Amino acid sequence: MSVPLASMAAAPGDGIRHAGRAGLPWRTPAAIVVAAVALAFVPLLGLPAFYDSLLYLILSWVVLATSWNILSGYSGYFSFGHGAFFGAGLYTTSTLLARFDWPFLWTLPVAAAVACGLGVAVGAVVFRVRGIRGEVFALLTLAVTFVLGTVIVNTPIDGGNGVSLAAVPVPRIGPTPSSTFYLLALAAAAVTLLVAWGVAVSKLGSGLFAIHDDEDAAEVIGVPTYRYKLIALAISCALAGVAGGIHALFLNYVTVGEVFTITVPLTVVLMSVLGGSRHWAGPAVGAVAITLLTYSFTAANHAVAGKALVGAILIAAILFMPDGILPRLQRRWSARRRDSAPTPLAAAAPARVAAAAGQRGEPLLRAEAVAKSFRGVKALDGVDVEVRRGEILGLLGPNGSGKSTFINVVSGHYRPSGGSIVFEGRELAGRAAHRIARAGIARTYQIPRPFAHLSVLDNVALAALFGAGLASPAAARREAMSWLAFAGLADKAQALPDELNLHQRKFLELARALASRPRLVLLDEVLCGLTPTEIDAAVALVRRIRDQGATVVLVEHVMRAVMALTDRVVVFDHGVLLAQGPPVEVMRRPEVMLAYLGQAPLPERVDA
Amino acid sequence: MSGFTLPSATLLAQSVLSGVFVGALYGLLGLGLSLSWGLLRQINLAHFAFAFLAAYLCWQLATMGMDPLLTLALIVPLFFAIGAALQWAMARFAITPFNSLLVTFGLTGIVEALIQSIWTADVRKLESAYGEHRFKFVGLYAPLPELMTLGLALALSLGVWAVLRHTDLGKALRASAEDAPIAAAFGINQRRNALLLAGTCSALASVAGVCLALVSTLAPSQIYAWIGVVFAAVMLGGLGRALAPLVAGIVIGVSEAVTMAVTAPSWAPLVSFTLLIAILLLRPGRAA
Amino acid sequence: MTAHPSMTMNRRRLLGAGVAGLAAASGLARAQAGPIRIGSTLALTGPLAATAQIHKIVGEIYIEQANKRGGWLGRPLEWVLKDDQSKPELARTLYEQLVTADKVDLLMGPYATGAILSAMGVAQRYDKVLVHHTFGVPSLAKYERAFPAWSLGSDPATTVPNTLFDALAAGPRPPKTVAVVTSKFPSIQFMSAGAREVLKKRGLSEVLFLEWDFGNRDFGPIANRVKDAKPDFVWVGAIGLDGNLLLDAMKKIDYVPPQHFYLYPAPGPLVSLPEAKNALSVTIFEEQPPFTDAPGAAEFIRLYHERAAAAKLPDTSVEVQAGASYTAWQILDAGVAATKSLDDKAIASWLKAHRVDTIQGKLRFDGTGNYGDDLMRIKQVQGGKWTVVWPKAYTAGGATLQAS
Repeated sequence: MSVPLASMAAAPGDGIRHAGRAGLPWRTPAAIVVAAVALAFVPLLGLPAFYDSLLYLILSWVVLATSWNILSGYSGYFSFGHGAFFGAGLYTTSTLLARFDWPFLWTLPVAAAVACGLGVAVGAVVFRVRGIRGEVFALLTLAVTFVLGTVIVNTPIDGGNGVSLAAVPVPRIGPTPSSTFYLLALAAAAVTLLVAWGVAVSKLGSGLFAIHDDEDAAEVIGVPTYRYKLIALAISCALAGVAGGIHALFLNYVTVGEVFTITVPLTVVLMSVLGGSRHWAGPAVGAVAITLLTYSFTAANHAVAGKALVGAILIAAILFMPDGILPRLQRRWSARRRDSAPTPLAAAAPARVAAAAGQRGEPLLRAEAVAKSFRGVKALDGVDVEVRRGEILGLLGPNGSGKSTFINVVSGHYRPSGGSIVFEGRELAGRAAHRIARAGIARTYQIPRPFAHLSVLDNVALAALFGAGLASPAAARREAMSWLAFAGLADKAQALPDELNLHQRKFLELARALASRPRLVLLDEVLCGLTPTEIDAAVALVRRIRDQGATVVLVEHVMRAVMALTDRVVVFDHGVLLAQGPPVEVMRRPEVMLAYLGQAPLPERVDA
Repeated sequence: MSGFTLPSATLLAQSVLSGVFVGALYGLLGLGLSLSWGLLRQINLAHFAFAFLAAYLCWQLATMGMDPLLTLALIVPLFFAIGAALQWAMARFAITPFNSLLVTFGLTGIVEALIQSIWTADVRKLESAYGEHRFKFVGLYAPLPELMTLGLALALSLGVWAVLRHTDLGKALRASAEDAPIAAAFGINQRRNALLLAGTCSALASVAGVCLALVSTLAPSQIYAWIGVVFAAVMLGGLGRALAPLVAGIVIGVSEAVTMAVTAPSWAPLVSFTLLIAILLLRPGRAA
Repeated sequence: MTAHPSMTMNRRRLLGAGVAGLAAASGLARAQAGPIRIGSTLALTGPLAATAQIHKIVGEIYIEQANKRGGWLGRPLEWVLKDDQSKPELARTLYEQLVTADKVDLLMGPYATGAILSAMGVAQRYDKVLVHHTFGVPSLAKYERAFPAWSLGSDPATTVPNTLFDALAAGPRPPKTVAVVTSKFPSIQFMSAGAREVLKKRGLSEVLFLEWDFGNRDFGPIANRVKDAKPDFVWVGAIGLDGNLLLDAMKKIDYVPPQHFYLYPAPGPLVSLPEAKNALSVTIFEEQPPFTDAPGAAEFIRLYHERAAAAKLPDTSVEVQAGASYTAWQILDAGVAATKSLDDKAIASWLKAHRVDTIQGKLRFDGTGNYGDDLMRIKQVQGGKWTVVWPKAYTAGGATLQAS
């Protein structure tokens, strides 16, 4: 089912953890800038120019690998097309230089823009299509590479003869031409690393990491997945384009065969995996390692043996550092510092769900003639449901009656085939799920779908960040802590979802749904699989949710809970509304009993 | 782009045939890759290196007098063992899917170096008796080595499909791929199955290698020339499928060949890969 | 590779004793005492390795022979060779390392056009003279201190096809219709474009023109189109494997072109194919008279056979690649010997103004881009061997162009 391409190794608890490291959010970018400035003095050391070129190559790969990672490492959309964007930048610069005599530095922003535009054009189409995940995206981007290469080689852009830039003067930024390239690459690398860090700690990064783990769940809690993926792709391509532009002049003579192949994307993948692709700096570490490795084996005497040795070293490296070099180093350092548990965030006063404006009993959600078909199978065949403010509405029906489909349609997981859904006066049918989440609707999944690589706290904080629209990851965390306390999971804040049992994971789903401050909460069989005691606790929790001002729609099979909790129930059968009304009365109706049990009801026995 | 020339029917048909033959080779190379990627969760770059190693061994044995097809009897078991051994090592070191990319890339470098040190970087062409035969029907030529490749590709793809679909082993493999812990809970011996599967994938690679030796020219650097298009065929067909790599390979091969028949051959990759993109975007709801 | 170790050691001891302290500080002492270091890279791994290994062998032979004669300027030669892995960006960086870090005295060119362009850029920046042996695009050779041993002349796109069509016109079956099929590889494409011009000017008609992507695997449709076009003569702009693959594809459809020509086939493999009978190609040097009459040629050929066999190369014959390589070393040798120095400026000026005796003949470098005459001759596969067939002055044993 899910393709392994999306499941990269991760160090536990990173993700939003980078953000808001107590008190010094600017430490990292400051360090990058300081390091860059310090390294800018290397050409003045008077080393042989060769070192400038070697460093240039290392930094160029740092830019490529890090930029690739911003899309593919963070979001899991594995791109095999980095060569296309690198090549687009390369050829933009070479065309502007050779044919139009532009000054070199001015070609770089254009190269970035062209590569970015190309990426966005591809992404705009590809990301719209449902079901493009994993290896399909990889193939699409690889295909783009070959298509672009063929176009370039067959048109006057290159035409097959290559483009010679020997006559173009190298701007005098450093004391020698090699040092100029080095300094340009240094600037590009510094910018790339800053951007990579910035994305990782920002809301964009949190969204991307969520997309990585479960895109549908991310969309449903309010992450604008389409937009975020496109932004990440745009950033990634623009940076690759700049690297390409600089490289064009470095090479002096560009040919299609060197660039539009599988080599560039394969190399950046290897660098990212080797360095550690969850961390913004991982690919840079991998780039340094692999470039140096390649250069160590250039002696002629055992060239062939050297190649074998490089292969052996790569294998050994990944055997000893399965998560990548950087996580391994981090573990060493943090083991030494004995990283204490983060200061327990003082839980804010138990947050309230957004106080509903309006009277209890008013219609909050009105679904009319809602239909949903899956290739001829009518899961919902025109249902009319009204949800009143402040009530707990039970949604019942035998298996396959369309209850979960209804939840999926209302929350935006599916687009309805027909009908309208009006929430607080706004039409929501057909809107993107993340907008529905922002509008104030949240849902839980029957089989919990937490974000596997994020901590429990971060799972909930994400919903606060996107669903409730809180400003910063730090504020989102505080909010999240209070919801965890509400759900009784406060002591598990730093754990990974894997470490929770089913009951706790269900409560995590609940806390996550609530953190987005919804006015309508859709609970999809939240009680299934729980022990009687746990059911009681859950029932109490649902009541408290309603008491705080939220409206609840409860899809349930556990009759005991339904009778105890719900104000009204609606019963579905085969995609249509069968009955609605007070729970006890509805459950006694013959047609309802027929639907559940499949036979005429036995006559009521009078004796007790 | 030079204009379109209206090809004769023979030219078109022969080109389609040519595309089918080269597509069969893509499919044969892709079969083992698709299985190991889809069912074993490993992206095995060394697959190509193994294919070429097998090709060189076939060349060597054939040059020493053995019939090329007979070399299969030696080569296939050898590579089965190599594949199983590699899988054993991967399992022992608990290598994740992404790390398998790195490991197999390293392995490819080692195998390439090995090939170059034994057989030098020069191109090798196998001159076999099979290469001399060709069938002619309705004005079309079908060389024997290419037919054998197509035949092997069909037979092996169908065979693998049958095993996956109808035997217990096949079902066990598919189950393990979908949900390993649950499958294990049902008593499926995943370790043994993984070894079997990995060995089979390598064996399939070696068969593809023998076909390469019969049909094409060998050089160590050629290992990388096939990676792009075979990956494309595998990804187009979907992972872990038996017939899909062959079909996808033929689609790619034929689309390129037809392009080369009607217009400038240098545009061929554009057509085949645009077609690929279109298929991927338009085909009805393929979830990952 | 030092030839007289005992002499060198003595010299070293004398100098060392005399100027020990100064020797450590100044490079001058090092330059006087040690070997002459010549730096270059070759594609010892990667797709270009097949041909680069020829250049490695030739270089080693030359250095050895030179050291037997006492080296250059009385000092032994040392070849600092690195592997550029068939990547121009590596070639550029390694040449920079050779010049700025290893501080070699002289440079020798790498293998193939891409790498040579990279090396040329570096040489230009440090004003080093660069003799190279395999540069295929003379119009790109803009550096005044670069000197070619691949003697194409400065306008090969015109001169080479003319030589070829002269040979065909003088042969038993002068063609009237021509098919031009070519790879889009840089050093090939412009030559094929030139061939198309030339054939038009000579009144021949082009019945087919096809270009393929470098790296194309399937030559079936191309072979079919050639067969359909029924040309008298096929110009194949082939490099490396392309020629073999096309011939193979043509064989599979029972097609033998009446006459065919391959521009830069991978040395060796083509000649052994039965279907390559009568295939034409270009050469500057072959191991047959009159080329073997050049001074030093016979000895070089003998040594090459030995070394190639020891390196397990399938084809141990000396042809244009090895010939060009040896020539390059001879050019550099001549420059150093004539100017009695390692000064790049002096060597470059001398080379521009004089002629150099090489196994290719007397070379001059005073044309555009430092090119001289086009020394390309036409050779043909006859009886499983390359035989030079045109111009007559370069044939041996009355060999002539054959057409089936």
